Amino acid sequence: MTMNVNPDLSFIKFLKSAGGDTLKKCYQCATCSVVCPLSSDKKPFPRKEMVWAQWGLKDKLIGDPDILLCHQCGDCTAYCPRGAKPGDVLGAIRAYIYTYYGFPQGLAKLASNGKNLPLLIGIPAAVILIMWLISGGMHLPTEEVFTKYGFSQFFGHWDFRWLSKNVFFIDIIFLPAAALALFSAYKGASAMWQKMNEGLNSDSNFRPSCNQFVLDYLWPAIKETVLHKRFNECGVNIDRVKGHLPLLLAFIGLFIVTTYGFIRKDLLGVFIPALHGVIPQYDPFKLLANVSAIALIIGIGILWANRANMEEKKGIVPTFYDWFLIGEIMAVGVTGLGAELLRLADFMTVAYVVYYAHLVSVLMLFLYMPYTKFAHLVYRTVAMAFEKYRESGFVNKGA
Amino acid sequence: MTDERSTPGTGGILVVGGGISGLTTAVEAAEVGNDVFLVERNPYMGGRVAQLNQYFPKLCPPTCGLEINFKRVKNNRKIRMYTMTEVQSISGAPGSYQVTLVSKPRYVNNNCTGCNACVDACPEQRDNAFNFDMDKTKAIYKAHDMAFPMKYVIDMPACTKCGKCKDACKYDAVDLDMESKTFTLDVASIVWATGWNPYDATKMDNLKFGQSNAIITNMMMERLAAPNGPTGGKILRPGDNKEPGSFAFVQCAGSRDENHLEYCSYICCMATMKQITYIRERYPTAKIYVFYIDLRTPGKYEKFREKLMADANTVFIKGKVANITPEADGGVTVVAENAMTGEKIQQKVDLAILATGMAPALKLQGASLGVQLDSNGFVMSDTAKGIIAAGCAKKAADVVTCGQNSTAAALKAIQATRR
Repeated sequence: MTMNVNPDLSFIKFLKSAGGDTLKKCYQCATCSVVCPLSSDKKPFPRKEMVWAQWGLKDKLIGDPDILLCHQCGDCTAYCPRGAKPGDVLGAIRAYIYTYYGFPQGLAKLASNGKNLPLLIGIPAAVILIMWLISGGMHLPTEEVFTKYGFSQFFGHWDFRWLSKNVFFIDIIFLPAAALALFSAYKGASAMWQKMNEGLNSDSNFRPSCNQFVLDYLWPAIKETVLHKRFNECGVNIDRVKGHLPLLLAFIGLFIVTTYGFIRKDLLGVFIPALHGVIPQYDPFKLLANVSAIALIIGIGILWANRANMEEKKGIVPTFYDWFLIGEIMAVGVTGLGAELLRLADFMTVAYVVYYAHLVSVLMLFLYMPYTKFAHLVYRTVAMAFEKYRESGFVNKGA
Repeated sequence: MTDERSTPGTGGILVVGGGISGLTTAVEAAEVGNDVFLVERNPYMGGRVAQLNQYFPKLCPPTCGLEINFKRVKNNRKIRMYTMTEVQSISGAPGSYQVTLVSKPRYVNNNCTGCNACVDACPEQRDNAFNFDMDKTKAIYKAHDMAFPMKYVIDMPACTKCGKCKDACKYDAVDLDMESKTFTLDVASIVWATGWNPYDATKMDNLKFGQSNAIITNMMMERLAAPNGPTGGKILRPGDNKEPGSFAFVQCAGSRDENHLEYCSYICCMATMKQITYIRERYPTAKIYVFYIDLRTPGKYEKFREKLMADANTVFIKGKVANITPEADGGVTVVAENAMTGEKIQQKVDLAILATGMAPALKLQGASLGVQLDSNGFVMSDTAKGIIAAGCAKKAADVVTCGQNSTAAALKAIQATRR
């Protein structure tokens, strides 16, 4: 068999810059594939990914679900006889994949480079500020109003009963951002699915129905993720579960609270205008929000400490890819809880500034989700669903 | 015969280590007229080679190479040989080193004829380190059948000083009150021929050495196959003495691994090839699996490899074993990824042989003696100062290479004495 190798040099250079600088040390002994607690018998990884990456076979890698099935336990890196750090190389390939499938490409490229950090913060900061200015809110409320309404008149107030001015502005900022993120994630994930499917011997005449896809592949994958089944298999870096699990649950909690807030303020609020105001502390959803916020800060704090520790002790190279997400989530947690506490303590001016920072950090999280490390939320889940599809009867495994 | 002081004007050569390399250096230097002091830590000469069943690739027994060197040492009045002796400290300057050595007591003197009466009388036992603890000897013992010097020795920690061996000895050869001796030599040159130790297999936690009798090292395999070994040359699984029906060779067990030995130990591939012939002689149809990263059989050894790879019952799998699981029936399952097919292999076998590599023996002690070592613990020669490395103290090597570089070491040592 002959093979035409067309190495993509820029791809190799990207990997080297994104934490995969040790890639070329690999000599293909395959220790990694055996010590990996997550790799399967039929399709073990990451040995094959290492040689593909060395050869610059970008095309094979962007359609390889195994790269996303990797949870970076670090067992491969610990046992690697050459210090090639396969775990970190796969992390770098994932960073490439998110940028590669990202839409629009300009935004994806922007979000994948640490040099753009001022712009990455500057754009959302400007958007919120401009909105604040044109909303006419642009002044601090009186003490009385602040005590009563908190931040719910940040973007001002009008007497239109169907929708409060504040919610209107929040909506016109965050709904398009969320819609763009979701569209981009969908577009990227389906492009990746197609690419992964090209590598299989599947018949396009027989495809799973939407129902089958959700029930047989996607839902089990989500269940596995929430229960941290694979993460718990990890050997060396098992401590990360202690941070990742509370973090994931916090995100679910905050999602529920946000949904509740939407129903309460945007739907029920139409009929009962009183519901537009601050959710009171005795509301069980408020309790959930507070618990989630604390869990979020603790979870990301553990992951922060864990990564810093790894970098110090094991010589893992710090990357923008890893730290940007940690920083973003920490900012969301600290400004969110901080704004609430400052509001309760009646430090109005500071509270307003922190609340502004909170809106900026949340917008960043939304806007850059499909391109930064946060994208693993979508791409890894899809890859796990794909793994189940790959094992199913729809794929002819041949002789 | 030389005095224990150097001969003025010429200067003696100290050779540390009495394995194949030290013996070679000593006889080569002495036979052209130099005074040589040959010291060996063990109670016997011959080092690691004495433990082998056969050399590769000619498959002759090691005695054929050792015997002739022993004869040359015995017949040469220029060589003074000390067993059970180690270097304690070195002082002085190039041209005249004062080396302090300590000889541990053997508790058996030169009257010994090797009659074995003491062993029959001895009530105590000790683990036999020569056979990697796979059997036991009495507390008074002969290191092995072909031991040179042919003198018994007492392992004092195992001895109760009951005196039964002394009573049984007709030649008054047992001296339970013998004490260690410290002495100083004045030499012009020092040759380090301190050789190697098998790398400690317990350090590779994923290979589970010590957790199952079915996991042995390649040096244990040499002893199992040797006629003077614990099983008399039968290859049986330690513990239950089962005749294994299947074997797995785990190559690079610790070698080429920056967590263990970062260099290639050079001999393990050929040692495995050689050991396949041991198995084939005894079990013509046994299944043999060899798991490797690369097969390194350079030069003429390629022929040997080709011959063995033609065997239908011997399977070579490109992929390092990174996990071994002990099984209930006494066997083990070795796990690797076959890099050619991209699939994982879980192979159940009756006996797994870890091809452990060579760790330089001087590593720990060398630094305290002021010897220049490289980052892996191999000795770096400084010919200008008359400090020379030979054999596996210099680098991981096979016996042929050791013979060559030990002869070279002899020449360099002689040059240092003539300055």
